[in-house]
Amino acid sequence: MEFFTKANIDFLGKRRVFLVLSLVFNIVGILVTAMFGLEYGIDFEGGTEIAVQIQPPPEVGEIRAAIGAAGFHGAEIKSYGRPNQFLIRVKESSGQTEPSTAILTALRERFQDRQLTLLKSDKVGPKIGAEMRLNAAIAVVISIVAILLYIAFRFEFIYGLGATVALVHDVIVAISAIAIVHHLGLLRIEVNQSVLAALLTVVGFSVNDTVIIFDRIRENRERHKGMNLIKLMNLSINETLSRTINTVLTVVLVLLALLILGGEVLQGFAFTMLVGILTGTYSSIYIASAFVIWFLEKVRKVDLEGEYRRLKELERQAAVQT
Amino acid sequence: MPPKRLRQLWGKWALLILPLGLGLYILYPTYRAWTLENRKAALQASGDSVQLAEFDQLYGAALQNAKQNALKLGLDLRGGMYVTLEVDVVKLLEEAAEREAIDDLFRQVLEATRQEAERSDEPVLSIFLRHFDRIARPQGRSLISYYDVGDLREISEEKILERLQRNIDDAINQAQEVIRQRVDKYGVAEANIQKQGTRRLVLELPGVTNEAEMRQLLQTTARLEFKLVRNNEEAVRAFSAIDQYLKRQRSGQSHSLTPPDTLQAQPAAPDTLQSDTVRSTSDTTTDPYAGLSDEERQRRFKEDFPFTSLFVTYYIQNERFVPVDYRRGEFPEGEYFFQIPKANLAEFETILARPDVQRLIPAEYEVALSAKPDERLQRQGYEIYTLYVLKREPELTGDVITDARATFDPTTHAPIVLMDMNTEGAERWARITGANVGKKIAIVLDGRVYSAPVVQTKITGGRSQITGMSSVQEAHLLEIVLKAGALKAPVKIIEERIVGPSLGEDSIRRGLLASVVAFLLVVLFMVGYYTAGGAVAVFALLVNVVLILALLSAFKGTLTLPGIAGIILTMGMAVDANILIFERIREELRRGRSLRTAVDEGHKRALSAILDSNITTFITGLILYFFGTGPIQGFAITLMIGILTTLFTALIVARAFIEILMAYDIHLTYGLPRKWLVAPTS
Repeated sequence: MEFFTKANIDFLGKRRVFLVLSLVFNIVGILVTAMFGLEYGIDFEGGTEIAVQIQPPPEVGEIRAAIGAAGFHGAEIKSYGRPNQFLIRVKESSGQTEPSTAILTALRERFQDRQLTLLKSDKVGPKIGAEMRLNAAIAVVISIVAILLYIAFRFEFIYGLGATVALVHDVIVAISAIAIVHHLGLLRIEVNQSVLAALLTVVGFSVNDTVIIFDRIRENRERHKGMNLIKLMNLSINETLSRTINTVLTVVLVLLALLILGGEVLQGFAFTMLVGILTGTYSSIYIASAFVIWFLEKVRKVDLEGEYRRLKELERQAAVQT
Repeated sequence: MPPKRLRQLWGKWALLILPLGLGLYILYPTYRAWTLENRKAALQASGDSVQLAEFDQLYGAALQNAKQNALKLGLDLRGGMYVTLEVDVVKLLEEAAEREAIDDLFRQVLEATRQEAERSDEPVLSIFLRHFDRIARPQGRSLISYYDVGDLREISEEKILERLQRNIDDAINQAQEVIRQRVDKYGVAEANIQKQGTRRLVLELPGVTNEAEMRQLLQTTARLEFKLVRNNEEAVRAFSAIDQYLKRQRSGQSHSLTPPDTLQAQPAAPDTLQSDTVRSTSDTTTDPYAGLSDEERQRRFKEDFPFTSLFVTYYIQNERFVPVDYRRGEFPEGEYFFQIPKANLAEFETILARPDVQRLIPAEYEVALSAKPDERLQRQGYEIYTLYVLKREPELTGDVITDARATFDPTTHAPIVLMDMNTEGAERWARITGANVGKKIAIVLDGRVYSAPVVQTKITGGRSQITGMSSVQEAHLLEIVLKAGALKAPVKIIEERIVGPSLGEDSIRRGLLASVVAFLLVVLFMVGYYTAGGAVAVFALLVNVVLILALLSAFKGTLTLPGIAGIILTMGMAVDANILIFERIREELRRGRSLRTAVDEGHKRALSAILDSNITTFITGLILYFFGTGPIQGFAITLMIGILTTLFTALIVARAFIEILMAYDIHLTYGLPRKWLVAPTS
């Protein structure tokens, strides 16, 4: 089986349009995220969260009343995976007993006649939450910088820069996607440690596609000395296209399995990865490579586009003549 | 099979078989433990105790052995409790100071330090020093004013700081040791206790279901002290002084513009005991509240005696309890007794915690509450605690305890804990009891009075007992903490995660299902697209997954739910290396190369791309490992192991497979139409 035997798509011809589009997308994404807001998980927020299974399931209002009577007002109550499972989150209370014990006792008393199981309980102190938020931000920044340095070391500095711009783009898109999906209520995704893990993995994986295209560009530069860079990049992207599609396909397949079958805990992880992988593929073509061209043209003042146009014109004439 | 080929190829065959064999060998105990556990669970469910005993005899050792070498599951999969404890350094600084020297300034410094330490990561000692320099030093205080220097010849702030730092460092190590002992004695199998940074302990406690008990076990300081009870006229006078002080302060406030005090605004607790006292005393004296309604009378009483109205004071006269009226202002010499209803505890403790109030209590005294409400009154439906005024300096502390045993009192059948002391402790105990016959000695644990028996005779032999536990279970916990010893500094839980067993099982099921489906999808795609070449990649993937699990097991790592996600993700990414190689081979074939050269070139040219792309992912895995906690670290580890095994299986195992096939003239097409294959030119 083959998908693209002799692909010859002019990916970079329309790069300006895509660069502008991506820029607009990113800005809109940031604005939308700021507007809708992200919901932080207990890891980053601090507080107490317990998940219980109550069979037969009561109304959410009944649960709220039961724990309200125990002194926990303004608790967040959501369904958790299955219809008879509930997630209850409260801010740290001033009471003497542990909030989780108090809530559980209140629920056991209220729903004596039903079967109640504690699924999990998390308590995160405010300091830990703040620390984890800080650590998460540091981790994302460090990994982006580390990758910038690695690519700059293995290739050239502008390539490292191009890859980094693409990464930042992917992270922004992934975060915006979480904000949008969560806001629309399609999936209940809160930003927790697993989502952070997914974001970092996106950073690592999305650069894969970029690295493979850059690797091919490096190789082709040796093979076709003096070729116009835009043409060279187009050639390299086309040559690696089959691999790109296939790899993305396998990863998307396993992530879909994880998203659909992996359960509540891994949903945020799988979704973030999925978005990240798809935009990572797009950005390695339209951001990473396009950025390198843009940088060379604008900063180094190399007229790549003019040369590319002239070349294309020549090719067209040659085709007409034959 | 021509023997010549076998001789040429044995290394390649070995590459094919050995890693897989070795991986399966390492994973065998996991499989064995799993099957044995299942059989045991089935027997337990059937309730056949004879067969169960038989099973234990036959397979008990084997199961134990297998479990030791089996792949460990994380708490999120097997259920259990994950706790982060932090040493309360502020408390330690407070306790290290000389009790008599502590004044308002010092308390201010501590309070400021506590508030900042709640949020900041800076070492608490430096926070403390900063606030000390800001608050106490301008008032002419130095550290020497508060801390005992030990050797008088070397009085210097540096020495004190050095010693405090050492105390802090010791505290975490000692806490780790003590808590390990407690957890071991409590009977948590495979508990994992690790230090994190300089102030924290991370505990992983699989299978713990009684979280409330665990919390108590971990957070109990277990400081046992024997203190003399000083429920005397001096104490009562101090209480009276607090009354007057508060009243003065409040009436002063009511004239100013500050909002009415919340304590005053609260309605008096409707408490039978309290109103009884009021009435009984009002008969004997000229009643200033005469003619007022009960309600108004209570309100006025509370206003006039803001502190002592919270509890009831009795004077013990010829073994009779005579209620004391604070209005008279005269308190005869002798023994007193105080009781406080539960409803008033919070208010009582808030008032008592105020530094300005503390100053009114004689420095050598302290006020403590009983650990439990009075049992007799509790049976009648009241929750009444007993108040004690104690001599601050303990007569004896718990470090003389050598053994503790939870048992029952032979006469009352109440749970008690018997304690044995070492010889030094026994001698001192004999001296103390001998000198205080007829007096009360309180047994205080973590600031709460468990019992305050009257010393009947001099006690020799170093035996003593603690009563006042509400259950056998509590006595058992006390036995554990007394045996393990006291913590040098209190610890508090700052993070706690509990995963119930049912969620863990559910996660395992879902993780397994997702893994299998993901694997099948990859197989379908790879074989569909690259045909036989894809099958080689799938074999490499199989070896890959086995190796990830085996390495995880061999290095005593734990498999968590995010870890399973990492393995699933690796399945998707691992074939990337094969895809890169196969696409290269196809390209070379299309260029008209022979299969031999195409395979060689394909591998050679794909190498740099494979390495670079995997190294970048490895870098992020490494960063994740250092910044993540618990389960996420599990993900980072499987991700990193997965990258290493991917490189090995895709570059070496799959290559060996291809070489073997080629040696037997089996030519893979890598999904290309046959026409692209150039007949091998040999």
